Amino acid sequence: MNDPLTLHIRLNGEPRVFAADPDEKLLELLRRHGLKGAKFGCREGVCGACTVLLDGRAVYACLLPACLADGHEVVTIEGVGDQEHPHPFQQALVEAGAVQCGFCIPGMVLSAKALLDENPQPEDEEIREKMDGNLCRCTGYEKIWTALKAVIAAGGGGGEDAS
Amino acid sequence: MKAERDFQVVNHSVRKVDAWQLATGYPSYTADLAPAGCLHVKMLWSPHAHARLRSVDIAAAERMPGVRCVLYHGNVPRHPYTTAGEGFPEPSPYDQFVFDRKVRFVGDRVAAVAAETPAQAEAALAAIRVDYEVLEPVLSLEAALAPGAPVIHDEPDAYLPIPMPYCPQENIVARVGMEDVGDFADGLARADVRLDQTFETQYVQHAPMETYVAWAALDGRNRIQITTSTQVPFHCRRLVAQALGLSVGQIRVIKPRIGGGFGSKQEVLLEDLVALFALRTRRPVLWELSRAETFTSGRTRHPIRVRVRAGVTRAGALTALGLDCTANTGAYGGHGIPVVMCCGSKVLPLYRAETVHFAGQIVYTNLPVAGAYRGFGATQAYFGTEQVMDQLAEGVGLDPLEFRLRNHIRSGETSPVFAALGEGKEGVPMTIGSCALEACLRQGAAAIGWDRRRPHTEKTGRLRRGLGMAALMQGSSIPRIDMGAASIKINDDGSFNLLVGATDLGTGSDTVLAQIAAETLGVAVDKILVYSSDTDLTPFDVGAYASSTTYLSGMAVKKAAADARGQVLRVAAAMLAAPVEGLLLEGGVIRAAPDRSVTLAQVAHYALYERDQFQIIGTASHVTEKSPPPFAAHFVEIEVDTWTGAIRPLRYVAAVDCGTPINPKLAEGQTEGAVLNGISFALTEQYLFTPKGRLKNASLEDYHLWSLRDKPPIQAILVSSFEETGPYGAKSVSEISINGAAPAIGNALYNAVGVRLHQLPFTRERVWRALQSHAPE
Amino acid sequence: MKIKAVRRPETPEQARDWARELGEQALYVAGGTGLHFMTDPAEMVAIPLDRIGLRGVECSGRHYRIGALTPLADVMNYRAERWAFHETGRRTATHQIRNISTVGGNICRVFPWCDLPVALLALEATMVLLGDDGYAVPADDYFASQPARRLANGDLLLAVDVPVLEAHMGFGYRKEVICHSGFSLMTVAARLRLEGDRIRDARVAAGAALPFPARLKQVEALLADQPATPDTFARAATEGVREVAWKGREDWSDAYAAHAAAIAVRDALDRALTFARRRDW
Repeated sequence: MNDPLTLHIRLNGEPRVFAADPDEKLLELLRRHGLKGAKFGCREGVCGACTVLLDGRAVYACLLPACLADGHEVVTIEGVGDQEHPHPFQQALVEAGAVQCGFCIPGMVLSAKALLDENPQPEDEEIREKMDGNLCRCTGYEKIWTALKAVIAAGGGGGEDAS
Repeated sequence: MKAERDFQVVNHSVRKVDAWQLATGYPSYTADLAPAGCLHVKMLWSPHAHARLRSVDIAAAERMPGVRCVLYHGNVPRHPYTTAGEGFPEPSPYDQFVFDRKVRFVGDRVAAVAAETPAQAEAALAAIRVDYEVLEPVLSLEAALAPGAPVIHDEPDAYLPIPMPYCPQENIVARVGMEDVGDFADGLARADVRLDQTFETQYVQHAPMETYVAWAALDGRNRIQITTSTQVPFHCRRLVAQALGLSVGQIRVIKPRIGGGFGSKQEVLLEDLVALFALRTRRPVLWELSRAETFTSGRTRHPIRVRVRAGVTRAGALTALGLDCTANTGAYGGHGIPVVMCCGSKVLPLYRAETVHFAGQIVYTNLPVAGAYRGFGATQAYFGTEQVMDQLAEGVGLDPLEFRLRNHIRSGETSPVFAALGEGKEGVPMTIGSCALEACLRQGAAAIGWDRRRPHTEKTGRLRRGLGMAALMQGSSIPRIDMGAASIKINDDGSFNLLVGATDLGTGSDTVLAQIAAETLGVAVDKILVYSSDTDLTPFDVGAYASSTTYLSGMAVKKAAADARGQVLRVAAAMLAAPVEGLLLEGGVIRAAPDRSVTLAQVAHYALYERDQFQIIGTASHVTEKSPPPFAAHFVEIEVDTWTGAIRPLRYVAAVDCGTPINPKLAEGQTEGAVLNGISFALTEQYLFTPKGRLKNASLEDYHLWSLRDKPPIQAILVSSFEETGPYGAKSVSEISINGAAPAIGNALYNAVGVRLHQLPFTRERVWRALQSHAPE
Repeated sequence: MKIKAVRRPETPEQARDWARELGEQALYVAGGTGLHFMTDPAEMVAIPLDRIGLRGVECSGRHYRIGALTPLADVMNYRAERWAFHETGRRTATHQIRNISTVGGNICRVFPWCDLPVALLALEATMVLLGDDGYAVPADDYFASQPARRLANGDLLLAVDVPVLEAHMGFGYRKEVICHSGFSLMTVAARLRLEGDRIRDARVAAGAALPFPARLKQVEALLADQPATPDTFARAATEGVREVAWKGREDWSDAYAAHAAAIAVRDALDRALTFARRRDW
């Protein structure tokens, strides 16, 4: 049997091995290894600034015991896109003027990516339900909503842009 | 002026300069930049609302694993200061110390540990032995003002650094006010309809997504470098120096990207200690407040009790408008004086009243500390005044919209309040320049469908809808007090470094300032490389508060860019052997004639390498003479569940006159975000305390920020005007729109069900109880 | 709660055996979201359950079997005939929590604000557990006291069986929150069985404003064999909740909680009635 604290994680498409502290959360492990895109905003599983994808699903890295990521696939904002090859939602956020302080944005992008990967044409109610775990104090969500609707109107983005 | 309004860069929604960096998660924020191997700070916070420390024993904690330093009042310098980041001398009492022998609220500082890991620091806190002499806590305005009340600030060395009486023996920071305009009593007496009502706002917090965080390290020359999530890097440098007894030159403050502030980070809460720990341990030291600590020990909005007295004639003319404000500043007095003065100065001038009264007092309690919060006094005062305006309108049979159209201040008019009330002293007389409030009122009313509004008496059924509105003004900068400066220099390729002390905390001010520079220099915005803020590198600026950055710092940027532009043209004139006066600078090219031109890159090259070499660099400072108000008209439609008392906002329209919106999308974003914060302030946000003054809901889970799933549609309408004294006609936009939701929803509630609430927030239980005593049906 | 070691089983039986071996130090971890609320300083050995299966919803004719490790998001997304439990899933917490938090995790340790037990009580669910062997416990017994105590011996929840709603049955669910993602201040679930225009029987349960989720037997008694009308609902809701000691959470007073209970019961019944009539197969 493998050591449950030697974590084999497919991180942003690459197989990686991490040594975890038994009490450590995934957010701490990621930030400790230089992936600073997931933010500490509350450490209580509410704000969503720490959102990452676990097997394609948006989860709070601040709540997730790191050991639960062993054997799974994790995608962080660093694995979603860059300015040359952005996710369509990142492009739309930039164009819509939806990035104010930006602290919530990586989490927003990951939640939206999971949403659009699952259903490129979600109805408004589905968007509200699946984007309800990312708080933003700056924007009132108007421009974030506009950006997401623009991506959906253009076909829903699609996961192929992601690495 | 016509030509000047045909803008190339300004008034366009260019991409925010940091948008890509933030959207792709590039490490940008304070904690992202902390070096590996930092020590971690944890604070032992007071569990008591009011207590004296008989003794603090840190010996055992110092011996705990990983502990490198423990600080408490016994081993730190004692210099009175304020954590409020304001211009010097601050209109705030010096009633704080790095550590004191007394604690004044649950969450006050007792002792701090720096250790190798957060867990080790946390563990060491438990080993600090404190003997508290628990004192009677003062947990309300009544208790604080009662004769014989316990004195919260009995330390002899606290004082107020401005010429105003400091009255800590009465638990009062200061009393403020102005001489009545006209005979206020007579104004009330002459009114056909007069009202005297008292409104009260609650404790709330800014709750930016990034909590308070700072780190410090010594550089190779033993200077302290502080990287911090601050709105006020220059004030931070000065206040840390003051608190620790250092000179300003020993300290460098760097502000990276900030994860939101809204006023909370106009406060120097962590920087003194990370600096001191770095000095003592010679190690980099990081201190991140948890969310719970941010709620408990961070800053809040002053709860203010506002008595509104007003009178109106049957013809609809205001004969009297008066406010008496009693603010709860909590355990420390920072910002209390200017906040209360802004209750008057940002509110009373909105209406032409024949007589005006204003008085206020700032009261200490053993509750969490209030500070600067977007809206800054205006939020608290508009809650009452704009509900009173609706009632006066109803009293004389006027539609609330019509009443405001008749009475609001207009271009070319003044108010004696401007001269009477400043921030910590008298104000500056001002004549209103730009004012598009009438257009805001009309466009907003059309957008919400105001003509559908029917009186509550015509409404039946369990769910009833109501329409409400509020008119607003704010200011733009603090005239004759605040200064902003900028410098701009050319690079070889014709790009420019724009260095500003102005502090982008997520608002987009770097982008706005770059647009102003680009407009002035005739280049695209991507040729402006903007950098903010670093006290070693960028010129002074008071920082991001008082709605000042676009108007004040923007003008400094415009002047600095004009200075650089003049130098560019002189060099180009030499290169083209043409008179300066005939040159045209546009699109990065300087033309003397259609076939005779040089590029900015050529000019830069010439100046840097070829002849009479010098650095083309413009520098300018700006102090404002005015604080031109932006204006807004807000409208909301709500649905009230008369069975439960629950209010559901259905739609919100905010029409705003911010002069020329330098970047319309960012101005809309400021408005939309402020509106949603205003809505949750009105309906759900509040601090809940135990009977002993401990905050019960110190978590995001229990404080309830609204998500995308909770929010109603918000429509921002930018109504342009042109403020002659602002950069390219601009005024401020960031604060004003947080002030509308509370009174507009209050007015909509009355319109829906015929009850009025005087206490925020409008919880469903409060609404239900009001409906019970009102006994509808 | 501090996790000092991790042991990761591959089967439910292995999990159970390790839990028994570790005794009081054993801590099953499903999604792990509940750890945040377990503030006692004990040092535990985590037994993550993500490799033992038990995920997904299946219909077996008479009931839907929900694997104990099914995330709430899968419950929310699941759609089938005569199934109503997704209504509860979509109103619980936030999507990030629903993606990882499991049905089993939610009902193995019942926090006062838990939503699922209320719905499972009304829906007459059955819990399927693994002790020495498999065994089943009806919701009424299972939620009679804190399930964490029942499970302290290492017994493992395998699945929840939710009966298929029969024809003429309707389900209504109300949850009162300050914001969508907030903890419930009042949860009410109701299942009505109609017979023509009359109510044959009703199961009504409440939580959040009670120390522990419970059936509202008085309400049920006032509904049984009565005409399915707004008047019946109003009377049952008002009179049936009167004896209950309602507890206001957050900014609610106890008195307001009692008032809100009556309205939530009425609203849940209204919804159940609409549901029953809509599905009048």
